[in-house]
This record gives sequence, C-alpha cells and structure tokens, in this order.
Amino acid sequence: MRRTEPSAGRIDGYAPLRDYAAIGDGRTVALVARDGSIDWLPTPDLDSPTVFAAVLDGERGGRFELVPEAAYQVERRYLPHTNVLETTFHTASGSARVSDALTLPGEGLEPFRELQRRIEGLAGTVRFRWRVEPRLGYGGARMRFGSRFGLPVASSGADAVGVIAIDAGASAEGWSGAFETAHGSSHLLVLSIAHQEPLVFPNRRELDARFERTGEIWRRWTAGRTYDGPWREAVLRSALALKLLVFAPSGAVVAAATTSLPETVGGERNWDYRFSWIRDSAFTLEAFLRLGCPAEARAYFWWLMHTTQLDAPRLRVMYTFGGRRPAPERELPLNGYRGSRPVRIGNAAADQLQLDTYGELMQTAWLYAEAGNVIDPDMSRRLGEFADFVAGNWRTADSGIWEVRSEPRQFTQSKMMCAVALDKAAQLAERDSLPRRHRDHWLREAAAIRDFVETRCYSEERRSYVRFADGEELDAGVLLGLLHGYGDASPRLNSTVEAIANELTDGVLVHRYTGDDGVPGSEGAFLACSFWLVEALARVGRVDEAADRMDELIGLSNDVGLYSEEIGPTGEFLGNLPQGLSHLALISAAAAVGEASA
Amino acid sequence: MTIGGALAGGLIGTLVLTSVMRAANELKLTRMDLPFLLGTAVSGNRVRAKAIGYMLHFCFGLAFALGYYAVFTAIGTAGWALGALFGLLHGVFASTALVNVLLPLVHPRMGSSMTGAGDAPLLEPPGFMLRNYGVQTPLVAIAAHVAYGSIVGGLSALSG
Repeated sequence: MRRTEPSAGRIDGYAPLRDYAAIGDGRTVALVARDGSIDWLPTPDLDSPTVFAAVLDGERGGRFELVPEAAYQVERRYLPHTNVLETTFHTASGSARVSDALTLPGEGLEPFRELQRRIEGLAGTVRFRWRVEPRLGYGGARMRFGSRFGLPVASSGADAVGVIAIDAGASAEGWSGAFETAHGSSHLLVLSIAHQEPLVFPNRRELDARFERTGEIWRRWTAGRTYDGPWREAVLRSALALKLLVFAPSGAVVAAATTSLPETVGGERNWDYRFSWIRDSAFTLEAFLRLGCPAEARAYFWWLMHTTQLDAPRLRVMYTFGGRRPAPERELPLNGYRGSRPVRIGNAAADQLQLDTYGELMQTAWLYAEAGNVIDPDMSRRLGEFADFVAGNWRTADSGIWEVRSEPRQFTQSKMMCAVALDKAAQLAERDSLPRRHRDHWLREAAAIRDFVETRCYSEERRSYVRFADGEELDAGVLLGLLHGYGDASPRLNSTVEAIANELTDGVLVHRYTGDDGVPGSEGAFLACSFWLVEALARVGRVDEAADRMDELIGLSNDVGLYSEEIGPTGEFLGNLPQGLSHLALISAAAAVGEASA
Repeated sequence: MTIGGALAGGLIGTLVLTSVMRAANELKLTRMDLPFLLGTAVSGNRVRAKAIGYMLHFCFGLAFALGYYAVFTAIGTAGWALGALFGLLHGVFASTALVNVLLPLVHPRMGSSMTGAGDAPLLEPPGFMLRNYGVQTPLVAIAAHVAYGSIVGGLSALSG
C-alpha cells in the first residue's frame, strides 16, 4: 500500500481529511497529515482534552509541524504489520524519511505517554523545519511555559508536555528548530507527556529501544491474526486500525478517534465519536473472533457486561471507555474543521432509546457463547432481564440506529433487531446459557414482531423493507437486521437488497436513508452501509457483483488504508476518523465474500 | 479491649460491609464487587474467582481489624465513633489509592493507565474514587467502610 503523490495542499490551513494517518498506543491516537503535521492528539487518553487540535482550529488548536523547507513529494506507508507510520519526503536536493509512533509501554521508567518522530537522511540533503505548539485543554487551558534541564516544558494543571530534540537544531527556547539531513544521518524529536506525575526525560538509548520494541509488539500482534480470506492486506490494516481504537486499559472499543470532523464541510453535523457504542458490539466481537483475537474478544465482552450492569435492563446507546455515562454534550469555542461549527464534546444521543442495541447485545452474547466461552450466572440473569425488557417494550417508538434527533418512530431496523434479540435469547436459553422460564414468552413476542414488520414495514410498491412502519422511505440500516439473521432466505431479503442497490447508491457508495432526521444539512455516502451491501449481495448469492464492489471500495481508502465515516461526491473523506464501524464492516464483508466464494 | 474482640469485629464488620456493597449492587448504585476484584487476581474463571474472592475478602477484613486493634492499643482507647472515623479514613484511602492505584498495578487481569496496545486485560480499572464502577460508588464504599470501622471499634471496646 505505497503510493507517491504530490505534497497535499491545505485549504485555509486545513489538510484534506483523506490526508490523515493515525498512530496510537492503545490509550490515545494522533493524526498525522501528509505534510508532516500532527494536528490531533488528546492526552492522556483518547477521550481526554487535546494537546494538538489544529484539525479543529488551525489558529488555536496547536500542532507539531515537521516539514521540508523546499517543495516536496510524499510517499507514505505504515511499517509492514505495524501502526508505525513512515513518511518519505522527496525534494530536489534529496530524500528523507520520518517515522512516527506513539510508543508502547514496557519495562523501566518511561513517560506517561510518548510520541517519537525519527528522521533519517536517505539521499542527498533535505532541510527540515519543525515547531511544536502545545495547546492543552482543546486550546483553551491557561498554560505555563518554562524549561527543565534546558528542555522546553509546557504545563497546565495536572498535565505537562516536554520536547526532547536530538540532533534536530533546536532554537534557544526549544519549541522549534531546523536541521539538514544527509545520507545516513539520524535525528530525533520526542514529545514526553505527563499526567498527574512528573515528566520523564528518557535518554537516546532508551528511546531507541522503546521505538524498536513498539514495532516488534505490533508485528507480533499482527502475526497472531488468523484471517486467511480475500483482501487480506486490507483486512489486516483494518484490524490494526481497529486495534488503535481498542482502549487497552478497559478493553472498550471506541467508535472513532476524533470529535466533530464534519459530515459536510461547513455543516453542523459534527459529533463526538470518542465513546463505545453498543450498536457496534456484535460486529466488533465477530471481527475479533474472525481475526483470531480471543483475548480482545473476551476483554470486550467482559467490559460490555460490566458496563451495562448499572442501567440494566435498560441500555444506554454508548458508554465512555471507563464504563460511565458520557458527559453532557457541549460546544467548544473552536472554529471547527474549515469552519464546520459547532465543535462538540459529549454526545446527547447517549440518552436516546435505540431498541436495536438490544439485538446487537444479544447477538454479541450468542457469538461469545458460540465461540466456546461460558456465560456465567450473573451474566445470564442480566441477559435474561434484557430479553424481558425487549419483549415488553418493542412496540415503543425509538430514535433508531441512526440516532435521529427528530421525533421517535417505529423504525423497521429497530424492530428487526428486537426480533433478533428474542430469537437469540431463546436459543441461548435452549443451551442453558440464559434462564429458560421466559423462553416461550420471548418466542411469542418474536413472532409478534415479525408479524408487525412483515405487515407494516414492507412496501409492495418499493419491493423493500422501508425505513419505518407505514412509510415509503428506504434505509440501508435494514441490511444490518438482515445480516444479523432477520428473515434468512426470505424473498423479501433479495428484493430489499435489490432496492437498496438501485436506489440508495451512488456508484459503489451507499447513502444511509432518504427523508428527514431532525438535523439541518446533508451528508456523504456512508462507508459502513457500502460494505454491508457487499455482504448482503454475497449472502443472496450475487458473489461476483459483491466482489467487484469490494474491489472498488478497497480502492477508496486513503494512501495508508484508512477510512473515515463517509465519503463525499468527489471522493473526499467526511466525518470522524479512523472510523471503527467502516473497518469492522470491511472485515465482515471480506469474510462474507470469501465464505460465499468457497 | 482484646484481640478477640477486634477479630470478632473484623468478621462481623466484613459481613456487614459485604452485604452493604452487595445490596448497593442490586440497587444499581454501583458495579463495585470487591470479592470479584480480589478473586480475579487469582483465577480467570468468574465463578471460581468469586468464591476465592469472598475468602480473601474475609481474610483482609480480619487483617485490617488487627491493624485497627494495633492503633487502638497504641492510643489506649477504642469505641464505635473512633472506629467509624478509622473506617472513614480506610474508605477514603481505599477509594483514592488502594483500589484505584495499587490494585491495578498488581492485579494480573486488570488494566491500568499504563496498559498499552500490547495487552488485553479483562477488567476495567476503577478510576479515581472508583467512579468507573458508577458515580455513587465512592459514597457506597465509604459508607460501608464506616460501618465496618464502627463495628470493629465498638466490639474492640466492649471486649475485655
């Protein structure tokens, strides 16, 4: 996955979202632009305030620039099977390579979080300039600047960052510098980050060893993956992207690494995705199992069952990585990506009723049990309570999978997933993984839900399941219900796939739905839906068509194999990135096409 | 004041503490489960971990009662109120340092703020004041420890 392209142009100081690669350490993620600027880094954790947020405000957000002074072309890749990014700059006078990593913890005294940028001269000479502009607290914190042992330090409250520059021509105050590479030369810039503890300033030997070890840990993790189907490189890159979104201290999987990257440039559909959505749970667990990640699957399921304990039998739509309710949604005084305001943190959708989440959770439990894991009595009791809740509440209108902010409705996909929830609960009860006493009641209610869906949520005119009861609008979300087992082998499944393929698509890209959702503005095509359509086509036997679409979708990733949430009409990335659901859907679609082809 | 009284207090105090925490669990005030946290340090099997955890929890309850007794002896007095004050300090220390900071560092199946992408721990860390396990957890934990301390202090004073 190596492409040489001209240096990316910024518009009003903002790099195209497609230009960003992600690096991370299992606690936080940084975004690195093709021009060498790190424009996003929350610290210490992914849902913490940022030290760099230039992607959301080019003036106040803060960034870490590292760029050749002369005109350049860029070649970029991840070091094979790692999340270590390599950016090679070619100028008229020579070439040099920048390797970026958030290093992984090991033994010994090391910074709380550490960003390493290693520069090597490859040929001729390249003159670089660099500048670190830390802006803690989303650019809003009152900061103190000083120095320790001659190294620059910035602090605010319990947070501090320091810069170590080795052979990098640091200026007197230490926050910027310039240097020239020569063939074989080596230069190092390090950001040491502290939170509620003193800063640690490692020496060169320790830094080298940790960088080496970081690459080795990533390679070892990738080598352990067992996926052997088609599009293997793209699947492994998606697995590595997904691993960046696993919050290692708790095992939670975050939806995306950013907040408020817009669904339309200049628009107001800007949301904070740094939470773990129950909606993604079944895909997540299935992906972990398919990739041969039993440890991650188990950790995730334990986290899921612990986290949902306090609200049971209700489910929140999303939780923080620590298992808490997300903070109330609020707006930050930032300009937003290319003027896309507001910039939000927190997420008001957390308190919505989304009935589909129960189906996802029960499907997840089913997959967990099918993989040979034990559902203990506590989990069993709680899952039974969830099933009872669905049986008693499926008739309630909800906000649906797409979290519309308009009036709740009888969304078809929600009903389908309620049926899936009760079917799976009954199946788990049959194998004594859930209490048996309500099994018949669950089956009766599942049949009632099917009756509702088949009589009120299918349009003979559109020859498709529709977005909500008695409506005529289409919704690609119903594909998810079908993929999770609602209506297996039904002729209506085929016709719905056909209708969505004909009416919600723009080439290989699929839009989520037609109609109003309570938020002004429009959005791009939704990548996860595009992959769901591939999977659905494979499931109904249209394997060649599915494979062709898959080839095209794989080609729509950015130069390092990452995807955002959506893609705009000219191929631009839109929405938060890297987007877990896009990568999960890619893994699932690739596996489904592989299985259908076998 | 006798060591037997302190141990009796430790046993009954731990029973009360465990019951309060368990009741708070059922009332959905907290996800905190001390026996489970302790037991999973020994076993990855959830059911076995709980059984082992209860035993360990009672051992710790008795050990802490001996610690209380040592301080009561050193200062020459004990009582329900003094025990409650010790319980308050014990609860605050457990919430801010013992369970929040020390346990994740020594627990083989629990994540900590230093856990990175190379690991996949099974248990989420408690967070400051144990709030990851529910925002009401610190109140419940401190109230339970106050009850524990009060019983240890009271029974220590009554004995002998």
